[in-house]
Amino acid sequence: MTNTTILSYITFVYFGAFFFYLCMMIIGKPVLGKAATAFCIIGFFGQAVGIGLRWYESYELGIGHAPFSNMYESLIFFSWTIILLYLIVEWRTKNKTLGVFVSPLAFLALAYASFSPSINSRIQPLVPALKSNWLIAHVITCFFGYAAFGISFGLSLMYLIKKKGGDNTQNPFLRLLPGTSILDDLNYQVVVIGFLMLTLGIITGSVWAHSAWGSYWSWDPKETWSLITWLVYALVLHSRMVRGWRGKRMAFLCIVGFSCVLFTYFGVNYLAGLHSYAKS
Amino acid sequence: MSNEGKKYNIFWKTFSSVRLTIVLLILIAIASVLGTFIPQREEAVDFARHLNPETLRVFQALGLFDMYHTAWFRILIGLLALNLVVCSIDRFPGVWRRFTAEPTPLRPRLFERVPQEQSLEITAPSESVVESVEGLISSRYKRVRKKVSDSSTYFYVDKGRYSHFGVYLVHLSVLIIIMGALLGSFYGFEAYVNIMEGDQVSSAMIRGKMVPVALGFSVRCDDFSVSFYDNGTPKEYRSDLTFLDNGKKLKSAVVRVNHPVKFRGIVFYQSSYGVVAGDNARIRLVRKASKPEVKYVETHSGQQIPLPGGEGSFVVSQIKDNFMNMGPAVLIKIKPKDGKLIRFWVFQNQERIRRQFPGIFDRFPTLNPSAFSPYTFFLDGIESRYYTGLQVSKDPGVPVVWAGFFLIIAGLFITFFTSHKRIWIRVLQREGKSEIAIAGMANKNPVGLEREIHELLEGIRASVEERKND
Repeated sequence: MTNTTILSYITFVYFGAFFFYLCMMIIGKPVLGKAATAFCIIGFFGQAVGIGLRWYESYELGIGHAPFSNMYESLIFFSWTIILLYLIVEWRTKNKTLGVFVSPLAFLALAYASFSPSINSRIQPLVPALKSNWLIAHVITCFFGYAAFGISFGLSLMYLIKKKGGDNTQNPFLRLLPGTSILDDLNYQVVVIGFLMLTLGIITGSVWAHSAWGSYWSWDPKETWSLITWLVYALVLHSRMVRGWRGKRMAFLCIVGFSCVLFTYFGVNYLAGLHSYAKS
Repeated sequence: MSNEGKKYNIFWKTFSSVRLTIVLLILIAIASVLGTFIPQREEAVDFARHLNPETLRVFQALGLFDMYHTAWFRILIGLLALNLVVCSIDRFPGVWRRFTAEPTPLRPRLFERVPQEQSLEITAPSESVVESVEGLISSRYKRVRKKVSDSSTYFYVDKGRYSHFGVYLVHLSVLIIIMGALLGSFYGFEAYVNIMEGDQVSSAMIRGKMVPVALGFSVRCDDFSVSFYDNGTPKEYRSDLTFLDNGKKLKSAVVRVNHPVKFRGIVFYQSSYGVVAGDNARIRLVRKASKPEVKYVETHSGQQIPLPGGEGSFVVSQIKDNFMNMGPAVLIKIKPKDGKLIRFWVFQNQERIRRQFPGIFDRFPTLNPSAFSPYTFFLDGIESRYYTGLQVSKDPGVPVVWAGFFLIIAGLFITFFTSHKRIWIRVLQREGKSEIAIAGMANKNPVGLEREIHELLEGIRASVEERKND
């Protein structure tokens, strides 16, 4: 199928983006950053075409549905949302250093989707439980949330590196990173977006579960882990807004939060539950 | 302080602390993690078998196999709710003061550190500048306060006072959702029922308890169907239901996955299905003779059928869809004209079984289709009947939870995307020139405040210019 071929090529485009971001950080030449951004933009639009084509092809097969129905399609969408959010942040902050931390996430997600033998890339028909208008709203909100938390993870790593390295002007890697207070503020803003999206994702999932499984909350492992993730980020927001936590502690909490996101996304598949169609 | 007051004080101190909130959130998170690793409810049975007796006893005492419904887990959530309520009450007066406080426009010290880009010098008499400023801010802001002092005029305006309540709305929504869940667990139920096509029921089984619950009406399954995609995965499950009261048809409806049906506050969901043997079977008899005779019979269980050779009669007394794990079978009882009753099972997969287990029919007369000579019985088919598995739920808390969902989203938007922007404007008369300076404060989003001040300054500049040109 054409769409999977296109999408597997995008993997290399994102690897190219990562490579150039890394070169920019090590050599310190701005032109390398421009090349990296160009790769990101090409990848982003190419992937959009791939996703659109997959959607179209599913209708050609007579089983038309939005490409959000299994692990392969969710990984594709995850890497796409990460790049989209990253490009917005890069455009708003005029700083390309985040790219070296975020592009690997998009690259790895796509590589896993395209080249792992355990992932089925065929377009499959929707099982009855997934035939719902809530599918699109639920998947889009959840994955924008995950992507925002992925970016927050990258910003937290940047914060910790910058904090440890200080303002060493000899080292281009450290010099190019934005100041710690900018990183801290940006991280907070991204967490807010992620929290809002995750809240919407849990709510749309809950309303959907009410009509599909007969209960808006069943303590299914994926539901529970999304709640745990939600609680961790609620903790992040409270410790910052009420107790005034900043900097290092925030960065650590955000890294813990993102590991919960990863467990909600991948780890839960090893536990039994209702979300089984997201496994392969 | 009285003893009573002290107790009250300790209670209040404990429950109004955010530290407690953080501890509770962590405890609830840890407990929830446990519950995802220990199989719960129906899945727990298999896991429990592998535990040694002592561990099993500990697990059972703590309710770890149905952890989310144990008293201690509910107490944790209850404590969080109490913590939320106390925190909100504790902090509310301060917020209310900030909301209702009458602002003082006269705050000269605020202007000591106003940056250059937040001020503006205009060669125009101060009276006309003050007039344009007042005209502009009255059209942009609802609350405008003015004060004249010496050669200066001070204004105060603000925007987004309600943003102080965003957090309260979020917390209130969490309480509303918890209340909705409680309402559901007290006044609702979650049950299931299997209905054969054509049958009707008036009760369902409570999940996990095996206690029937009366519906107050009857529900009949008129038809069940399942369709598949070409690759064999299921496409749709569908039950045609009729709701009846005292035999009177009240409503007919189709239940599909994702499309439940509600009747008198009880919701029916398509949940599972199955096949069982019906009441009809197709039998073939072969009478061995010089000229073999074949007779096809369509019968239902219990019907007496004479044997074609006049040796007696037979009935199909039982129909099984999977007898001894060897597929469909019927129990045939033959009543000869003289002699004893003969009983034997006839399998639909007769040939296959004969090949798989050679000699089995000769060894076990009750499995031998030729047990009554000169006849051999064959089973050509049994009627299979579908039953539909429905989840039957009543949850009066659902609209409350939905309201909580809606409010929490609204609350989060107010909390994160609005801010209380307070702005002071000073118009200073200086040697025929007027100097306008703007100072501001916001409870969050300093960038938004800067933008607001910038827009205000540009607006003032434009309106003063316009007035000059008139």
